[in-house]
Amino acid sequence: MGSGKFTALNGIDLTFGKGEFTGIIGPSGSGKTTLLNIIGTLDVPSEGSALILGQSVANLTPASSAALRKSKLGFIFQSYNLFQVHTVFENVEFPLLLQGIETAKRRQMVLDALEWVGLTDKIKSRPAQLSGGESQRVAIARAMVKRPAVVLADEPTANLDAANSHNILQTMEKLNRELQTTFLFATHDEKVISYVRRKIFLFDGKVARDEIIDKN
Amino acid sequence: MMAFNLAFRNLLGAGLRTWLNVIVLSFSFVIIIWTKGLLQGWDRQARHDMIKWEIGGGQYWHASYDPYDPFTLSDSHGAIPEGLAAIASDTSIVPVLIAQGTIFPAGRMQSVLIKGIPPEQKILALPTEKLVSADNDIPAIIGSSMAENTRLGEGDYVTLRWRDRNGTFDATEIRIAGLFETTVPTVDVGQVWIPLEKLREMMLLPGEATVLIAGELTGEVSVTDEWVFKDHKTLLADIEQIIKAKGSMGVIIWGILLLLAMLAVFDTQVFSIFRRQKEIGTYVALGMTRGEVVKLFTIEGAMNSVLAAAVGAIYGIPLLTLQAVNGISIPVKSSDYGLAMAEKLYPVYSIGLIAGTVLIVMLVTTIVSYWPSRKIARLNPTEALRGRMQ
Repeated sequence: MGSGKFTALNGIDLTFGKGEFTGIIGPSGSGKTTLLNIIGTLDVPSEGSALILGQSVANLTPASSAALRKSKLGFIFQSYNLFQVHTVFENVEFPLLLQGIETAKRRQMVLDALEWVGLTDKIKSRPAQLSGGESQRVAIARAMVKRPAVVLADEPTANLDAANSHNILQTMEKLNRELQTTFLFATHDEKVISYVRRKIFLFDGKVARDEIIDKN
Repeated sequence: MMAFNLAFRNLLGAGLRTWLNVIVLSFSFVIIIWTKGLLQGWDRQARHDMIKWEIGGGQYWHASYDPYDPFTLSDSHGAIPEGLAAIASDTSIVPVLIAQGTIFPAGRMQSVLIKGIPPEQKILALPTEKLVSADNDIPAIIGSSMAENTRLGEGDYVTLRWRDRNGTFDATEIRIAGLFETTVPTVDVGQVWIPLEKLREMMLLPGEATVLIAGELTGEVSVTDEWVFKDHKTLLADIEQIIKAKGSMGVIIWGILLLLAMLAVFDTQVFSIFRRQKEIGTYVALGMTRGEVVKLFTIEGAMNSVLAAAVGAIYGIPLLTLQAVNGISIPVKSSDYGLAMAEKLYPVYSIGLIAGTVLIVMLVTTIVSYWPSRKIARLNPTEALRGRMQ
């Protein structure tokens, strides 16, 4: 029990470019998720500044940060966070509904996204009927369907076995290359680390190392 | 529209929990409409029967007449004003003379109101044609409740005692010429109807009356210092007050039902907000503002009442229509209630009643749904995403 302030991130100075496939790596409590939440405009730094797609997080109103998340940011969560009462199709359709995209176009975009992740045969299934790998692929389709500029993935493989982890990582890598979407992973999973092209090691809220891997 | 679609999906997806709420809420809809329809039907039937049997198109009362004070009866009579006398002659106005008396059926003594009415009158539904008699006796008609209390039947004779205008006691035999069935106790219980002219003779009050019952009013109402006109609003005020008072029990019952239904909705909302923290966080992460999430949960809760209206309509419409057509048998006698109540009541379900009830229940459900949903606006989305209780 303590009453003092906890500093999750300290002295961070990072820039992410278009089309990056980056891992923010560190043990639990190192500040990975906090960093991802700030980039995702779900949290605001108590000090310092964060610019997301040219906009200062601190200056965003609740409506403008929601608008930014709605159109430019995609999220993938460790436990998938799918809507249990919706079908696969409806889950993927949700971000497009929020954007008010018209039905025919919406349908095509959802089918495209499901094709990217190889789940066109599961459109009528409910999340409870899917395996962990399939659920995470639905989550990827939901994050990608609106063609966001940045996808933030918090421990996306934590609940998956090795085969499924590689499968979804390959899917994300492919989407990253084809659509030039920036992927930022918060992870300490070696499998994810083996895929990323930039590794940012966080320790006690500070950047311990920032490495760019040449995979060519 | 998106919020409505989403709320509808979520609601149906919640399965049994939704349907339990919906069924409880639908009971509230149907019972509120049923009790109110019953009261409206009762009110309409009572008004209709009172007009038909007692009130007519309205009444002129002698200025001294007070139906609740029998001591006024000895003075509350007078000659029919000239203007009204002309109308009275063509039976558009029925003069009624009222006096106190006593009858002695089977050796018992019972106070009665003696009411003199022209046998040829056509305004009230009383079978006054039975008061026409070629013999020298005094024919009388009484209601079935009176007949049951006094054990008198058609053709029976009974001694009637009265005091004339000078205070002199006199007595004679009257013949029960007919019985009538009515739902209006005020023309039945403790009443003996005899021909007007006979009563005038007995009371030594030629050409006088206590009450003048009008037919359909077509022209101006004549008023004098001695005669006061009482319209339907005044004459039916008592019965409406009684029905309102009896209706308060119905209000309590449907209030309790509504409260139970609202508790179920409120409880579900509170439970939802705690159980669906991750979902709320995900909505925010995907681009909804917290205000939009509050709206979504409020609509979801309020939609319980929309589904309840639909479910209530499925079983309520046939059930209530059946009752409106066939009526509801009342197991107690109307006289026990002290007002006009038929053996069968036909509930009246107006569009206003149904629409009003649906709107009220929807409004209350929306408020009850919004109340706990406000908590969402204070949730931290990052904590919500992890499913942490806040």
